[in-house]
Amino acid sequence: MARYGMALDYKNCINCKACEVACKEENGVLMGADKHRIWVGVNEISGEYPLLDIVSHSFQPSQCQHCDEAPCQMVCPTNATYYDEFHVVRVDSDKCILCSYCMNACPYDARYVDDRTMTVDKCTFCSDTRLARGETTTACQNTCPTKVRTFGDLDDPESEISELLRTREHFSLKANLGTKPKLFYLT
Amino acid sequence: MKIGPLNIPLREDFSLKSILNFEKTPVNMLVAVSVVAMLAMLVIGVSLYLMHGHHAYNVTREHPWGLLIAVYIFFVVSSTGFCIVGSLGDVFGFKDFTMISKRAIFGSIVTILAGFTVIAFEIGHPVTMMIYNVLSPGLTSAIWWMGTLYGLYLTFMIIEFYFLLNNDMKKAKIFGLTGLLVGLAAHSNLGSVFGFLNARTISQGVFYPTYFILTAFITGIFLSFIIMGFRYKLNFNEKTKKLLEGLAKIQGLLISILIFFVTWKLLTDMYGGMPNRAEVAEHILGSGSFWTEVILAMVLPLLIILKDFGKSPVLMFWASLSGMVGIFFMRYNLVHDTQLKPLQMMKVREYQLPPEWIHYFPSATEIMISLGGLGLCVLLYYVGTKAFNLDEEEGH
Repeated sequence: MARYGMALDYKNCINCKACEVACKEENGVLMGADKHRIWVGVNEISGEYPLLDIVSHSFQPSQCQHCDEAPCQMVCPTNATYYDEFHVVRVDSDKCILCSYCMNACPYDARYVDDRTMTVDKCTFCSDTRLARGETTTACQNTCPTKVRTFGDLDDPESEISELLRTREHFSLKANLGTKPKLFYLT
Repeated sequence: MKIGPLNIPLREDFSLKSILNFEKTPVNMLVAVSVVAMLAMLVIGVSLYLMHGHHAYNVTREHPWGLLIAVYIFFVVSSTGFCIVGSLGDVFGFKDFTMISKRAIFGSIVTILAGFTVIAFEIGHPVTMMIYNVLSPGLTSAIWWMGTLYGLYLTFMIIEFYFLLNNDMKKAKIFGLTGLLVGLAAHSNLGSVFGFLNARTISQGVFYPTYFILTAFITGIFLSFIIMGFRYKLNFNEKTKKLLEGLAKIQGLLISILIFFVTWKLLTDMYGGMPNRAEVAEHILGSGSFWTEVILAMVLPLLIILKDFGKSPVLMFWASLSGMVGIFFMRYNLVHDTQLKPLQMMKVREYQLPPEWIHYFPSATEIMISLGGLGLCVLLYYVGTKAFNLDEEEGH
């Protein structure tokens, strides 16, 4: 089975938010919901005119990092959070008791309460929609006009993402916590 | 009274009438009216929760744990504390402390029941929890261990109390020791719920699992003064004075250790200016609720103990009331301070400032359910004093 991950050429991000719209449309996320499943973080320009620090201005697309050592999965008292066959971190809403421990344990603030099911929800890498239909792309990746996102099988040495990670420098968010995220930010 | 094979020695005069029959002093009337008001608040709070779910609370994505978690911790800490104090006499054989054992073990049962009541309205799906805790246990989860061990602990406490009522001290000792060990394990697991939060550097580490045991013992002694104060209407006999003097001396030592622990915790948090940790520690030091905790739960009681080395049980009663208010702030601060720092520090919408500190103040519904838990706890304890003989039996 594939082990999916995502590389983000984040400096190409123009903060158009098409990824957020596509995600909402594909996965039935509530319209208008703020920071549900995916979002784009903004680092504003620091300094004072005319000595503006232009390089400090950046956009950082983010979502669940689908950690290989996911704290949210470890702390779940009912195993509602689990790894599916693609090693994607998923939530079984039938088992979720809404204790909110995962929301406190996730270092990336990637979890939220879905008001319709009153259970915790998060990015699924489109596992139950596109991947389930046999596609190998996510909605956010597919729609991105500047091709920020590359989604693919980390275990396949021939995949585009593996090639990118071999040839481009990259970093992970809060790597010091040992969560082994499967989102890689290309520099 | 015989219930099946069980022989539960209820008091001869126990009836609904005996419950309503109490001395109509101003203090008693105030307590009675307060308890009825708090129970009414519980009903209103729970109704609002059932209508609006978690929307009736002020918890948010950034601050998912609120007042009810703090109150749950407050009650289970009280329960563990009662259990430790109760065990001094009937498990460890300290004769001076035997007279409080039965009362303290009963206290541990009612406080944990109040805690379970409050948490039932915080957990979004408590029935699902009971099913999948068994069918799909998350063995790496501190919450699973804490909840499961507390369930076991309650069972052992009830069995111990049954044997205490029947003066079967040998069996009470066996179940008391087992219950104490399970309770301590449960309680340190509750500390580890916070200690395992690697994302929250202010809480992560060994501190909370050990600190919880220490503060449970302190809470147990505060509560012992309060229940004995009400039992004897602050007019203590010599035997009780001896018990309370012993407890006050232990309390002096424990509070000193606590001050030592908290001082070093904050100093190590701030030392070197470690990102996310030092700034949160400094923020805590600047908050009024932290100093309320320090003054009410540590400084005032310690000063009163040091005044004459615990020989003023009446003053200690008042200091213990202050101590319990301080202990409440201690629990509230623990929960709130853990979540002070946002995990995601970038702005995500236009016309929005980057996140700074997370603000939280409990909603009216949260406050009503919390006070309702307190009312339920006092009511259960009061009914217990009418139903059972919680004093030490003569000849034991």
